[in-house]
Amino acid sequence: MFAYILRRLIATIPVMLVVAAVVFMMVYASGNPAALLAGDQATPEDIARIEHALGYDRPKIQQFVEWLWRVMQGDLGTSVFTNLPVTTMIAQRIEPTVSLMLVTLVLSVGVAVPMGVVAAWKAGTWIDRAIMVIAVLGFSVPVFVVGYILAWVFALQLDWFPVQGYTPLSEGFIPFISNLILPAIALGGVYIALIARITRATMLEVLQQDYVRTARAKGVGQREILFVHALKNAAIPIVTVIGIGIALLIGGAVVTESVFAIPGLGRLTVDAILRRDFPVIQGVVLMFSFVYVIINLLIDLSYSLFDPRIRY
Amino acid sequence: MSASTIEVPQGDAPQGRVAVAAPMPDVLPPMRRIGGVVGFLRRNPTIAVGGFLLLLMIGVAVFAPFLGTVDPTALSPARRTREPSAMYWFGTDMLGRDVYSRVLYGARVSLIVGFSVALIASVIGLAIGLVSGFVRWLDWFVMRVMDGLMSIPPILLAIALAAATRGSVQNVIFAITVAEIPRVARLVRGVVLSLREQPYVDAAITTGTRVPVIMWRHILPNTLAPMTVQATYICASAMIVEAILSFIGAGTPPTTPSWGNIMAEGRALWQVKPYIVFFPAIFLSITVLAVNLLGDGLRDMLDPRMAKRV
Repeated sequence: MFAYILRRLIATIPVMLVVAAVVFMMVYASGNPAALLAGDQATPEDIARIEHALGYDRPKIQQFVEWLWRVMQGDLGTSVFTNLPVTTMIAQRIEPTVSLMLVTLVLSVGVAVPMGVVAAWKAGTWIDRAIMVIAVLGFSVPVFVVGYILAWVFALQLDWFPVQGYTPLSEGFIPFISNLILPAIALGGVYIALIARITRATMLEVLQQDYVRTARAKGVGQREILFVHALKNAAIPIVTVIGIGIALLIGGAVVTESVFAIPGLGRLTVDAILRRDFPVIQGVVLMFSFVYVIINLLIDLSYSLFDPRIRY
Repeated sequence: MSASTIEVPQGDAPQGRVAVAAPMPDVLPPMRRIGGVVGFLRRNPTIAVGGFLLLLMIGVAVFAPFLGTVDPTALSPARRTREPSAMYWFGTDMLGRDVYSRVLYGARVSLIVGFSVALIASVIGLAIGLVSGFVRWLDWFVMRVMDGLMSIPPILLAIALAAATRGSVQNVIFAITVAEIPRVARLVRGVVLSLREQPYVDAAITTGTRVPVIMWRHILPNTLAPMTVQATYICASAMIVEAILSFIGAGTPPTTPSWGNIMAEGRALWQVKPYIVFFPAIFLSITVLAVNLLGDGLRDMLDPRMAKRV
């Protein structure tokens, strides 16, 4: 087990190196980041000055090695606009984003897995079709559209929830959750669709297995068959998709935070993009990618929890 | 796969009856498979609905100038933020521009971005996947690069790339394409690796067929079905990402009306004038839904094993 974990950790090194290289190179996607930063009115002298001040005029290999060395020591550079370390800026904004994602995760898994199980159980009936229609809508209606519809109906018209904003958990659970429930539903749309579909597909396969027939023959109740015998055996593909889907949550959070005015990493990213604050953009992308890789590694390692036959 | 009530969809019933009905045509009406386009669409209702909606949107995009629109960029401060009426069907925005005209012209950007990304990402991904599946020493390196690209959440990668380039439709296409290529490459590589084990490919190798010929004649045709389905989903997701990029101000320049742009401009006023946000939102959702339905229908048609299951 330990050797396996070590091997998997080593295997993530080339992947993270590629991520770092992409994140480093994307600044040069336009050819000259200094010109982009300086704007259209800048003179060539202005551009040269910015280029020199930010170190963009040095050889790229040298820049990459130095940058990578600092990143590995936990230094993501300094914002071009606020002059604050990027790590500090991320730390200030991380709490709302993590809260939003956790609430979305719990909500989505809690809704989507039962949806998929019921759809598989009632396969071919109108219940199944209705659930699959909801799923295809979840894939098709973009997160900000869902966000605006929810905010308009449940916040503006019905006044059940606050329209926008964020309250930290330290100020009480009720204000915290009432601010996050609409953004979480909006953000969870695609995620729910994805998990519900894979749950249904895997459950359909599992429900045809002999042990399910045996369980039914010896008189095990329908609910126990579905949620104990079958779901446990369908767990691995479902958990894998839950992990892969985190990428959707990360991307969607940027938009959701804009719609609901949540002061998290998404807002930080959007502000950095509008000001072309490259160190901040790079830092956020790098951090999210790292978290994403680690989460999926942990999920791979968790397989033996669901299926004791898997040993490392 | 054993037969069960789940695996046999009702849609196949008429076919099953054909064999029984054939010897006694006077008992049952002659139920032949209806040929032609109509028959195809009746057998694949998802494709019919998706295709119809998509054609409608393409029609809107192409014929936008003839559908009662005015210049979508014409400013008119005197008629700012008018509610929808007989004169301004979808109202006017905060600069007095006609939202109906802007939404109709906005269809162009969405469709161009969706189709371009699907096409370019498919072609490049196909090339990478074929080479990677056949040239083993390159495979490790190429796949680590693809793993790396896939480790960056796609929307985030597209946002970052779009931010690092000047706002234009071409750069938006570039940014989204880069994020989508690894998915195609992985898919194609998987198909290639499984096909390589097939006896007919072994036979071709044994008889000395050159690798490019094997790829062209034996491998490529087998990748087309899964690739077409994948390309449809890429098209749908590219249209959403374009709207997201424009919405947060990193996409299509504000001078070109696109659904994301219109929503971004309506954002400041959405609590009092929600229609500016909702009309482009409805069009975007319907278009993406159409493409997704088309993808689901194609998948069920091209891959019978998957049909009615996912």
